[in-house]
Formats: sequence, structure tokens, C-alpha cells
Amino acid sequence: MVIDIAIVSLTVSGVLATYRVLRGPTWGDRVTAFDFLTVNLAVMVVVAALRTGFTPLLDASLIISILGFLSTVALARYLLRGRVMR
Amino acid sequence: MSRWRRSVLRAVAAPAAASAAAALGAVAQAATADRAASALDGHPLAQALVLLGCVFLLAAAVGLVRFPDVYTRLHAATKLVTLGGLGIFAGAAIAFFPVDGTPRVLLIAAFFFLTAPLSGYMIARSAYLRGLPWYQEAGSVDDWRALGSEAQVSAEER
Repeated sequence: MVIDIAIVSLTVSGVLATYRVLRGPTWGDRVTAFDFLTVNLAVMVVVAALRTGFTPLLDASLIISILGFLSTVALARYLLRGRVMR
Repeated sequence: MSRWRRSVLRAVAAPAAASAAAALGAVAQAATADRAASALDGHPLAQALVLLGCVFLLAAAVGLVRFPDVYTRLHAATKLVTLGGLGIFAGAAIAFFPVDGTPRVLLIAAFFFLTAPLSGYMIARSAYLRGLPWYQEAGSVDDWRALGSEAQVSAEER
């Protein structure tokens, strides 16, 4: 019961953040909503691990959160300076 | 096919296929089981924490849609997401409490608490230095620009 409510609310928040990614007036809104989407995906994988009891999914969640952080930092640096690294 | 290649295939492909079949079997079994079956059963504290985290994530998404400019949307998306992740990861750590899942969930939570405020800071900094507009009312002032710090930082950064 609780896990069903969790799945539904995470799906609804993902849909709302996708609306902000597609609509967002500036690129800051899009990057913010994209960061939220990656975190939401990592949390959804943790909830899937809770639902199935299959704990190796937690490694997938860790990798997704690492990739989301790195892509957010790369996007922010690129949009600030026009390059990612020197 | 040589004997060497066949032995390598037997050594690599068979355990990989076995573990993939085990994963698919676990997912399919949980998907076809009755609705109540999850790792959260019998942990009311974990259920309460997961519900709290989902409420905060949903509030963050609503704030992301409803707030007027980049900085207020960052306010919603960073702080509420940190709190919601706290709830869900703590609930998962309690539900998986025997040794298998708990250290991994705590690792994810530690990494998440290191990186979530940092990415919000990076987005806000590049948005401000690139001059994205913000929501203004009568009498709004930009304190940082009034202090004259902008020229110094942009000379360093650009």
C-alpha cells in the first residue's frame, strides 16, 4: 500500500518536472528540472529495490545519482563559461 | 570454435546468464505477487519515512512548476529534494536492515547529501553570473550588485 503510494507520487513529480524541462522559459529552469529528474530517477530505483527486494538495484541507483550530479555540474559550467574544462 | 574460446564462454557466459535470469526471476516474481509484498512490510517506521519523503518530493515538483523564476524554483528543487531523499533513503535503510542493503543505501545517502546542495549552488551561480532575470516587485534591490562585487568576480571568471 505504502509502496504503491510512493510509486504514484514519484511518477507524478517526474511528470511535473518534465513539464518544466519542456516549457521552462530560460535554460536555468531546464537545468534545475533536469537535476530534479535525475534525483527522482535514483529515488525511483531505490523504491523499485524496496518493491522487489532485489538489492543490486541499489548499485544502479548510486551510479544514476553520480551521473546526474556530473551532468548537472558539466551543464552549469558549460552555460557559465562556454566550456566544461580548460 | 577453439577449445580456449569455448572454455572462456563457459566460464563467463554461464554465470552472467544465471545472474541475469535470477534478476529477471526476482523482478517477475515480485511483479506477479500480491500487492502487499514489499520489503517495507512490518516496518511502520520505514513506511512513515518513505511516505514523508514522497510528500516532500511531490512538494518539490509542485514548487518547480508553480514558482515564478529560476531562483525560487532552485529553492524548491534543492532543499525539498534533499529532505525527501533523506526520508526515502532512511526508510530503505531501515527496511533493508540486515546487512545486505543497508550499507549501500547509506552510501547513496552520503553521496547524495554531498552533491545535492553543490549542484544547486552551481546552477544558481551560473544563472546569476549569466544574468538570468528574476521575479521583481516594487522595491526589489540586488544587494550584491549594489556592493560592487560583480566586476571583480566576472573579471576572475570570464
